[in-house]
This record gives sequence, C-alpha cells and structure tokens, in this order.
Amino acid sequence: MNTVLDLKDVRLSLKGNAGPVEILRGISLTVREGESLALIGPSGSGKSSLLMLMAGLERATGGTVSALGQDLTGLDEDALARFRRGNMGVVFQSFHLIPTMTALENVAVPLEIAGEAGAFARAMAELEAVGLGARAGHYPSQLSGGEQQRVALARASVGRPKLLLADEPTGNLDTVNGAAIMDLLFGLRDRHGATLVMVTHAPELAERCDRILRLADGVLA
Amino acid sequence: MSLAWRLARRELRGGLAGFRILILCLALGVAAIAAVGMLRAAIEGGLADQGSVILGGDAQMNFTYRFASVEERAWMESHAAKVSEVVSFRSLAVAGEDRALTQVKAVDDLWPLLGSVGLEAGTLAEAFAVKDGLPGGIMEKVLADRLGLKLGDRFKLGTQVFRLGAVLLKEPDSATSGLGLGPRTLVRTVDLALSGLIAPGTLYETDYRLLVPGADLDALKAQAVAAFGDKGLQWGDRRHAAQGVERFVERLGSFLILVGLAGLAVGGVGVASAVRAFMEARVATIATLKVLGAEGSLVLRIYLLQIAVICGIGVVLGLVLGAGGLMLGAPLLAGVMPFPVSFRLYPGPLLEAAFYGAVTGHLFALWPLAQAVRQKVTALYRGTAARVWPKAVHLAAMAGLLALFIGGAVWFSGSWKLALGTLGGVFAALLVLALAGLGLKALARMLARRRFVDGRPGVRWALAAIGGPRSEALAVVLSLGLGLSVLAVVGQIDANFRASIARDLPAKAPSFFFIDLQDAEVQPFLAMVKGNPAVSKVETAPMLRGILTKINGVNARDVVGDHWVVMGDRGITFSDAPPPGTKVTAGVWWPKDYTGPAQISFAAAEASEMKLKLGDKLTVNILGRDIEATITSFRKVDFSSAGMGFVMAMSPSAVAGAPHTSIATVYAEGSAEAAILRDTSKAFPNITAISVKDAIGRVVDALGAIATATVLAAGAVLVTGVVVLIGGAAAGVPARMREAAVLKVLGATRGRILASFALRSGMMGAAAGLVAILAGAIGGWAVLRLVMDLPYRFEPWSALGIVLGGMVATLAAGVVFALAPISARPARVLRDAE
Ligand SMILES: Nc1ncnc2c1ncn2[C@@H]1O[C@H](COP(=O)(O)OP(=O)(O)O)[C@@H](O)[C@H]1O
Ligand SMILES: [Mg+2]
Repeated sequence: MNTVLDLKDVRLSLKGNAGPVEILRGISLTVREGESLALIGPSGSGKSSLLMLMAGLERATGGTVSALGQDLTGLDEDALARFRRGNMGVVFQSFHLIPTMTALENVAVPLEIAGEAGAFARAMAELEAVGLGARAGHYPSQLSGGEQQRVALARASVGRPKLLLADEPTGNLDTVNGAAIMDLLFGLRDRHGATLVMVTHAPELAERCDRILRLADGVLA
Repeated sequence: MSLAWRLARRELRGGLAGFRILILCLALGVAAIAAVGMLRAAIEGGLADQGSVILGGDAQMNFTYRFASVEERAWMESHAAKVSEVVSFRSLAVAGEDRALTQVKAVDDLWPLLGSVGLEAGTLAEAFAVKDGLPGGIMEKVLADRLGLKLGDRFKLGTQVFRLGAVLLKEPDSATSGLGLGPRTLVRTVDLALSGLIAPGTLYETDYRLLVPGADLDALKAQAVAAFGDKGLQWGDRRHAAQGVERFVERLGSFLILVGLAGLAVGGVGVASAVRAFMEARVATIATLKVLGAEGSLVLRIYLLQIAVICGIGVVLGLVLGAGGLMLGAPLLAGVMPFPVSFRLYPGPLLEAAFYGAVTGHLFALWPLAQAVRQKVTALYRGTAARVWPKAVHLAAMAGLLALFIGGAVWFSGSWKLALGTLGGVFAALLVLALAGLGLKALARMLARRRFVDGRPGVRWALAAIGGPRSEALAVVLSLGLGLSVLAVVGQIDANFRASIARDLPAKAPSFFFIDLQDAEVQPFLAMVKGNPAVSKVETAPMLRGILTKINGVNARDVVGDHWVVMGDRGITFSDAPPPGTKVTAGVWWPKDYTGPAQISFAAAEASEMKLKLGDKLTVNILGRDIEATITSFRKVDFSSAGMGFVMAMSPSAVAGAPHTSIATVYAEGSAEAAILRDTSKAFPNITAISVKDAIGRVVDALGAIATATVLAAGAVLVTGVVVLIGGAAAGVPARMREAAVLKVLGATRGRILASFALRSGMMGAAAGLVAILAGAIGGWAVLRLVMDLPYRFEPWSALGIVLGGMVATLAAGVVFALAPISARPARVLRDAE
C-alpha cells in the first residue's frame, strides 16, 4: 500500500515570550493509504501542532513532512494552499466556519476555490449527508455547536480529499453530539476511502482507529 | 462572475450591518477632508472675488495725467467683457465761503463694475441725475458737514456747479485709495466737461477697470505690458488688490493649504484606523480560506474588492456628509465673515477627498492583507502574527499607492514644500508616537507586576490589555496621537496667527492726519493743537510725493519685483536734521545746511528687504522730475503704528523749489476729536483732516475677516478631527464587546468593566496627548517661523485645551461605545465571535 504521510525527524520550535519553546522534538512516522490513525496524549503535548504540520498549516523547523508523495517543507503559502485543494480536509475543534456565509456556502467554498463545477449541488448533497439539508440557509451563529461541526465535516469532505485531518472534532461537544460526529466522520471515511488522522484525548474514540500513537512532551511515546 | 467577487459579495451581503463602523469611519475621514477642502476653496474664492471688488474689476490699467489712447482703449475693449473708466484727482470743493480739499472720483455709467455703492438714501442714478440744470455729486459725510451742505445744496468743482445728490457711506472699490488722501467726492466724468479740471497738464490719473471672467491674468498682464508698458501703463489685478492686507492674505493662503493638509492627515487617520480594525476582524476568515485551499492572490482580491465597495460607499457618504454639512452651515458661516465667502460645490476638493479616501483605504488594507497571505495559518488563528514582510509585488504596490498619496498631496495643495514638509512632520510624529506607544506597553507590563495592582482587577485588566499580546495600544496611540498632534499644531498656528494680526494693528494710532498744510500755516497750526489739553502728541513733516523708479540706474521693479515700496508713489520727506526720535541704524545723516549732491535716508527694514546698501543710487521721480540721490543712512521706521512714517527722507537742497506741503499727525482723546476737527477746519479751511479711525477701519475689517477665516478653518479641522477620533473609538467596539463578555462571564460587574476600559483609554490618551503637545509646539514653531515668517510663542492654553478636549472626547466616546458591549448578553457576543 502507498504511503500517504511520511514524517522524518520533524521538529517544531516556536518563539514564546521567554525564548524559543521546543514543541515537537524529532517525530518520525508514516501513515499508509486508507489507514486511520489516532493521536493521543495529554494537553499541550503537541498533538495539534503535529496535525497542523501534516496539513501544511504550520512549518516544521526541522525534518521533513511529505504528504501524498509531495514534500511540504519546501512549499510556500500559495503552493500549500493549492496542494490542499482536493487532497486534504481539515476539521478543527472550534469549527472555524466563515461567519458571513451560510452553511451551504461554507460547504461550497472549497469546490469554488478549486474551480469545480456544480459546487452548490454537491455542497447540498454533502450537507444532506450530514443531516443538515434543512439548515442550508442558516448562518453559523444560528447553528448549535454540533450542527456547526457537522457543517465543518461536510466542508472538509466535499472535495473528496484523500486525507482527512481532524483536531479533537468532538472536543467542544457533548457525548451525544460527539458520538454522532464520530459516526459521521468514520462514515465519510468509509464511503470515500480517505485516510484519516485524528487528534483526540478520549480513549474510547481512539479505539475506533486502526492505530493509536501517543504523544508526550513533543515526542512519540 | 469571478470567484473573488462572488466570495466578496457574500461577505458584503450580510447587509451593511457588519460594515457600519468601517463605513462610518471612512465617511468621517472623507467628510473631514472634503469639508476642510471646500472651506479652503470657499475662502480662497471669496478672497479672489473680494479682490475683484476691492479693485473694482478683475484687472485694472492705470495711466497718469492722461486718458487711454485710442489703441489702448481698443485693446481693452477687445480683451475684456466690460471696461469702466474712473478718473481721480484732487480738487477744492467750494460752497459759498467754505472750501475743502477733496479727492474727486469721476466715473462712467458702468461704475461700479463690481460690488455696490452705499448711499445714505436713494440710488446712484438718482444721486447723479441732472436736476434744475445741475448735475448731481456725492460726498462723504465728513466733507458735506465741513462745507455745511445738505442734500440739494450747491457746490463747485472748478467752474462746474453741482448739487449734493447723496451722502456716501461706502464705496466698493475703496481699498486701492489707501491712506493719505482727502475725503471723497463722486461725480460723473461727463459732468466735468465744463469744469476745466481735467485738461492737459493737470494732475489726474485714469483707471480702466476690466472684467475678464476666466481669463489668464498673467498672460493678459504680459500682453498689456508688452504693448503699452513703455507708455506709462501700470497694471493691477485682483490677486493683489488689497494692499496692506496682502501679506496676511498670502499667509492665509499658506494657512489654508496647511489646514487642507491637516484635514487630510486627520481624515487619513480615521480611514486608516477603520480599515485596520476591519482587517483585524477578518484574519480568522482569511486563515479558514487558506485552509480550504485559497491562494494569497485570491484572498487579496476578495478583500480588495470588499474594500473597494466599502470605500465607494464610504466616500460617497463622506462627500455628502462633508459637503452637505458645510453647505448647511454656509449661511451661518457666511454671516460671520465680513467679506463674502463663496460657498459653492467645488468639484476640486470633493475629488480630492474621494481620491484620498480610496487611496488611504486601499493602502491600509493592503498592508495587513499582504502580511496575512504570507503568514502561517496557525499563526493567523492564534493571532500571534509574527512580523513577516509582504511579497515584493505587494510592497511595490504599496509603494505605488504611497507615491500616489504623496503626489496627490503635492498636486492638490499646490505647494510641494508645504505638502512634503507636512508629510515629513507627520512621519516624524508617527515615529515619536510609535516610541511612546512601545514605551507605554513596557510601562504597563512593568506596572502589572507591582504590588498595588493586587486586588484591583480593573487596573490589572487595563494594564494587561495595554501591555499584553494583541494589544491595541500601539495602534491607538498612533492614530489618536497623530489626530491630537495635528489638532494641536493647527491650534498653535491659529492662536499665533491671530495674535500677530492683533499685534500688527496700530495699538496707538493717531486721531487725525492733516494734509496740505502750507509752510506758513505749520506754526499757527501747531500752536493751536498743542494748546488743546486733550492732544497728547503732534508730529509734522514736510511731504512730497514721488515714485522710486530706478535703483543704481536699473528699473526698480526689475530689481526688487513687486515690493510695495516701488508699487506706486510714496510720501517723501526732507529734513536738515534727523527728526526727533529718529534712530539711524547705519551711515550718517547729512550735516546741517548741506547743499551737495542729493542724499537719502532709507527705512532700514525695507532697505534690507530690497537688499539696498549704503552708497546705492536711487532715482526718484517727483512731479515729473527725476532726482538721483545716494543712500547715506538707514533709519528705523515703524509703519505698523499708522503714525508718520516715510520710507525715504531726502536732504532738503535736493528738493528745494519743488512745491510741497506738510502733513501732521495729531494724537488726541477720542472724545475731543470732533472739537479738534471743527476748530482746525474753521481756522485753516484748506487743510484736509483725515480721520485715521475711518481709514484704518477698512484695513481692520479686512484683517478681521482673515482672523475669522482662520478661526473658521481651524475650527473645521478641530471639529472634524474630534469626530474622527470618536469614529476611532467606535472602531474598537467589536473587540471591546468580546472582552466585556468574557469579563462578565468571569463575574465582573459592568461598573468595573467600564472603569477598566476608561482607565485603559485614559492611559493611552495620556501617552498620545503628551506627544501631541510636543508635536504642537514643534509643528507650530516650524510653520510660523519657516513658512509664515512670524514670531512664534507657545500658546499653552490652546495646546492643553485641544489635547485635553480631544482626550475627553475620545474617552467619552469610548465610554458611550462601551455601553453597548457591556450591556450586551455575553452568550450572544461569544457565540458570534466563534
Ligand atoms: N505560537 C506558539 N507560541 C508558543 N507556544 C506555542 C505556540 N503554539 C503552541 N504552543 C505550545 O506548544 C505546545 C503544544 O501545543 P498544542 O500542539 O496545541 O498541544 P495539544 O494540541 O497537544 O494540546 C503547548 O505547550 C503550547 O503552549
Ligand atoms: Mg490541541
């Protein structure tokens, strides 16, 4: 099977108020196509940072990150943005919907940006798949947390990305809503055969993945 | 429809609600620029119009001792829409036994081309009309009274009999007459045909007033001078109509340019801070767009399109607000101005304001955008935007916009020196303000660790908000500080400028000038007025009138340009010894009974302006005779007191034989003036008294107008500046809203939150205010000393008042705008913030 993600000795240090902070200290891992991987570890251990590196939303200060055969470390912001189109879907703990756009428009944006035809029809279908067809015209501020995260899920998957990255997608939700989101997430993955990397600190959620990696203090345990 | 436009429209579509504050601030900024620019145009237009009225036409061609020739007349008719002829000379008006010297102005049917005549009663036509075979004449009241004339009574000029048709209150074209001439009689030129007064050899001059709407005065002047300059033509036009106030008009011109630039700076601050706040609120959305695969160029286009649309709306609104506001206030403002200010919709200033609004809006949007597209998404979400440099193209675009802005300022202001100087000052002020802002942040961080903060959460929040990450302190200190600085500078200039007008007005002017005293009359006259206990001082001097035509053999105008000393005839005195009180500053006065070659003592200040040296040879034409004299001394002459002052004093032998009279200045208590006038005119019937009060009244009027204009212009900047500062406070509302919500969640009472916000604004205001006072002092000094050539004195009350006023306004606005945030329900606020 193909390797979808390949990280070699990845390091990340960021400038804090009191000098540089070593956040990731030499991480190497590979993720194969179709695999689902859970990243767990205590808060502050660097899980989000690692996921952001995989998504090309953060830059490694050492080592290499390649996704789908493309080395991300050498790309500039524009090239990274282009690369994400159709390749990656990202879900955040705090949703990050665009407040000025309706649910439907939020879902359609990645397709529009990628210049694909029939963006709205496909977005509508995707919204219906997460059970929000009736709320398509609503703005984020008119939706509950669980609903917002479902919109975010639809938005992440509408472009049929090969790689789904989720950072504690249920962290802001109650158990019932959280479970529903997890079902959707795994449903989407199964239907489209995407590779999934998910950060969570709930062991029962991690159990649903093929593989679990534990992060502690910036290194894999 | 392009993708960028589609996405931009989606954000705009939410209604203008989300953009209210941005649009308001933009509109206020543009309104400030438009209003100040329009006011500048209105005052300049008024001055130009006024120049025409004072002159009596757009331009004037003057000849001495003759009428215009046929060719000259033909030239005028072919170049001007209207030509009016005015003849002036001095004559004796005779009524029975009484006679009095008068300055006669003989006019044609077109007079006055501009403005209107003020008569005690009746119309000009009625006054001039021929009744019982006698043509009408109009006299100033002082003259009619001296001759004991009532309406309808007869008087004679030369051999022609007139009847008094009306009493003159005001001539529109009076300012050209200046001081030192007798009271006015107005008649029609045709009625003088039989008077024998205007004949070859008599002393008169003719003025031809031209109406040349829209003409290029420089070109016209050049043409006229080329054609008739060697035949004694003297050119004048509306640009230099108001002699004596010209210097002030010039300074007012610079002041108005500066005011326009100040309006620009203040308005620019408003636009900039509004756009900055807007872009800050969009950072998370930009990050999300990048996550979803948007390239920098797309993001850039999306937001530049939005800015373009919002700028469009803001600019239109601002123009309506600025122009409309000014037009609404126009009747009120026009009422305060002693000369007509031409309030019109001037397209220039409106265009200018729109241009600046658009350029500033895009410039300040481009910077954060260009940074955002280069930043990592994680950094954008966290708001820990590290300083990254925009791409070269974007930097080039910004440099282009900046160049456009500066070029615009230079172009629109019409003075690159003032424009660049002002912009340089603004950049310097920004630098100092940046230091102050950083200093404040450091201070806040230091204070936050001090003991006294413990148990005072309000203080701690304020300090944290200033010293912490994502602090708005730097931006607020920059924009508030620049606004206050500009206001402080304008205040300093205004206060000093007005003080200088007050200073330049004669504080202790004489009550009367007496002219045409014959030599034999001088002693009896002196004895009489000195005997009056109400008279505090009398001065006399012999006087001739002459024109300084050549300096060292070269045409004087070619040497010193349009210096007032060579712009017409001047009074010249002569004396054996330096008159009492004379201070010779260089050289020596000629000896008593000196009979050698003519010598001249020249006024020191004017000499240095004209770059004259001791030993220079001057040619002075006195009554048609050229006298060449050498400058052998300089002396101090004070022309500001309206007392006796001669630029040139000559050695007596030089002008021996030339017919002359003496003039006298009499200083007396106001209550005694009427009696002095009555007694002297009885005893010396052919001496003419000129009331200085009346004469300088006109000058005072003009200066008063200028003072009012500066107050008005400065006031416009102050008012709009304060409004823009208030707009700046409004721009911070969304941020304040979130903070208040979080603090409330943490259990803070509204009072406490408000107090903390107020403390924060107060600290930032204090930092900005301190810099502003400094900037006011330096800027005021620079403008007054370097641009206006006036003495500068720090006006503490103006500075304190303006800076405190600005701070209070900002603070009050901050509190008012904080009321909504602190009363909003936290749940809603926090949810919207997600
Ligand atoms: N921009 C930054 N500057 C300084 N420290 C940071 C920054 N971003 C993250 N960190 C630190 O890096 C560590 C890892 O953060 P994160 O990846 O969010 O952890 P997790 O997701 O596992 O909770 C934390 O200690 C956090 O404080
Ligand atoms: Mg995390």
